[in-house]
Amino acid sequence: MQAGVLKPVLAVYTALFIAFLYGPFIVLGILSFQSGPEGGPQFPIIEWSTYWYRHLFGLVPPSRVAPLPIGDSLIRSLALAFMTMVVSTVLGVASAQAFRQKFRGSGPVFYLIVLGMMVPGVLVGLGTALLANLVGVDRSWWGTAFVLHVVYTYPFAFLVMLAIFNRFDRSIEEASWSLGVSPVTTFRKVTFPVIFPGVLSAMLFAFTLSYDEFARTLFTSGPRLTLPLAIYGTFAVEIHPNVFAFGVLTTLFSFALLAVYAILMMRSVRQSRQVSAEAA
Amino acid sequence: MTVVLTLNDVSKTYGGKPAVSGIDLAIAGDSYVSVLGASGSGKTTLLRLIAGFEEPETGSIVFEGERIDGTPAHERGIGFVFQNFALFPHLDVAGNIAFGLVNRRRDPVRDKAELDRRVAEVIRLVGLTGLERRGVSQISGGQRQRVALARTLVTRPRLVLLDEPLGALDAHLRARMRDELRQIRRSLGVTFLHVTGSETEALTMGDRLIVLDDGRIGQFAAPATVYAAPASPAVARYLNAYNLIRGSRSGASFVSALGPLPLAASGDARSASSNPPPSAPSGTSSNLGPAAADGVYAIRHDRIEVRAPESVPGADEIMVPARFVASEYGGASMLSFFALDTGQIVEVEEHLSRGMPLSLVPNSRYGLAWKRDAAIVYA
Repeated sequence: MQAGVLKPVLAVYTALFIAFLYGPFIVLGILSFQSGPEGGPQFPIIEWSTYWYRHLFGLVPPSRVAPLPIGDSLIRSLALAFMTMVVSTVLGVASAQAFRQKFRGSGPVFYLIVLGMMVPGVLVGLGTALLANLVGVDRSWWGTAFVLHVVYTYPFAFLVMLAIFNRFDRSIEEASWSLGVSPVTTFRKVTFPVIFPGVLSAMLFAFTLSYDEFARTLFTSGPRLTLPLAIYGTFAVEIHPNVFAFGVLTTLFSFALLAVYAILMMRSVRQSRQVSAEAA
Repeated sequence: MTVVLTLNDVSKTYGGKPAVSGIDLAIAGDSYVSVLGASGSGKTTLLRLIAGFEEPETGSIVFEGERIDGTPAHERGIGFVFQNFALFPHLDVAGNIAFGLVNRRRDPVRDKAELDRRVAEVIRLVGLTGLERRGVSQISGGQRQRVALARTLVTRPRLVLLDEPLGALDAHLRARMRDELRQIRRSLGVTFLHVTGSETEALTMGDRLIVLDDGRIGQFAAPATVYAAPASPAVARYLNAYNLIRGSRSGASFVSALGPLPLAASGDARSASSNPPPSAPSGTSSNLGPAAADGVYAIRHDRIEVRAPESVPGADEIMVPARFVASEYGGASMLSFFALDTGQIVEVEEHLSRGMPLSLVPNSRYGLAWKRDAAIVYA
């Protein structure tokens, strides 16, 4: 009886969820194949074409639509996301490792770290910009913006690693020490391989959060824009389907990144299974 | 005997509560020592102090003539086998076993042929041949136990600490591993310090037996000595083979709530206070609480005979009335539970090879009889 009601309700809920999740992307995807340069960002499709994709790479004759200024900003965003990923993950792993033992002031330190993801990005961005002006530091994507990205993504990496260490069996480290292996080698050869799936997740979080970041970057990146800022800048004039074409390409790139993550994850989880399959 | 490990006045507290206090100990080389204690008696703490996972607050630990307290665990050269085995989940069986040899700081084995030879040797010793390339999650509990042991033994420590190593195994496997542990130890000539909460395991495994009582050493002697003459009521309790009756000594009898229990004529008396076992430390604490000043009368489960309630005890015997509650059939023996008039439950173990015991009717009254000189009196 109850299941009879519940099932259609859940089905509608799931359908709505999927519609909201994928609907916008599907619309963008379709519109990115609008004909150009005269076709606009709305239905109906005048004629299917790959014009805007070619436009993106400068493969079409110049027209009244200026090419999307993404070349440099894409490189900047990728570099920034990579730097942020490395630093936040290292910090996250190290501080989660520290939190495995209770130390004096561990409570306040915990909230201090987590604060970085709680505070409103616009305010922190603005505050950092004012502070930079005050002390005479030039704003730049690799300086002020980078620091803010780390402040923002480090708590995510930290929390992921904290959860991983929570389930970590510390006796395997003690077993390693008792075999005469130093703590440093033990971390390298025992702890790290075991927590590696978690490290991978922390890296993924840090990278995607930084790559996407808008509010904090807006005030702190200085004259050279990151990708989200550059795209937002083009909206101010007029929206053309080239933005959609670019959106499709970046989403595909993200999927590729996720696929790499999934493969690495599967490999580290299945390692022992593969080993036993070889023996059989 | 050469002493391989010495502890002097070693103490450690956790959150103000003593875990081990004032432990003095000397362990002989090439021996098997088992440590018996209830959970919370400090037995795991004792091992962790020796291994270097924890540091003592007082006292010193000397291993092979060198003071090792304060030395990091990886520089002590003492092996440790964990209750949960603590195998490296990302390595296969051979990888687990080779790990210490390859990665240890002192004298690592770099030569591949030498490494393979030593790993193969220990795999043969513990009987894991054919499983070298298996993942550690793909083998049984008993095999994991062997990997844990092999991983430690291959580095040739002079002392191996085993923390309830058989606790995670089923009963059948436990019995077989007991035998194998003893054989493996003998063939290598190392010293095993084996912690357990099981009195059977402690009695069968050790050449010598340490009974830990509330963070102190209750008794350290050969298993047969401990079993026949526990140094204190607390030790007797851990052996799980004695009925303990409270009271006090008064002349030739022991006065308890049951009434006076006449003692054997002096000379035959196995009184623990007048004739303590040589290795029993004097003044051991007992955890009998506020009444500890009072005496305890101990009688072993298998020294009691069940008789008809109207039968008359012999001149050298004691008989008390009791109500039969229930019994457990144990194959070779029968364990029966009786309630004394004081409400205390008394256990009686009868060996079935000595003939069928009385068939007992629950809630009926019987007489429990034992020889006066079979009792041990702590008073």
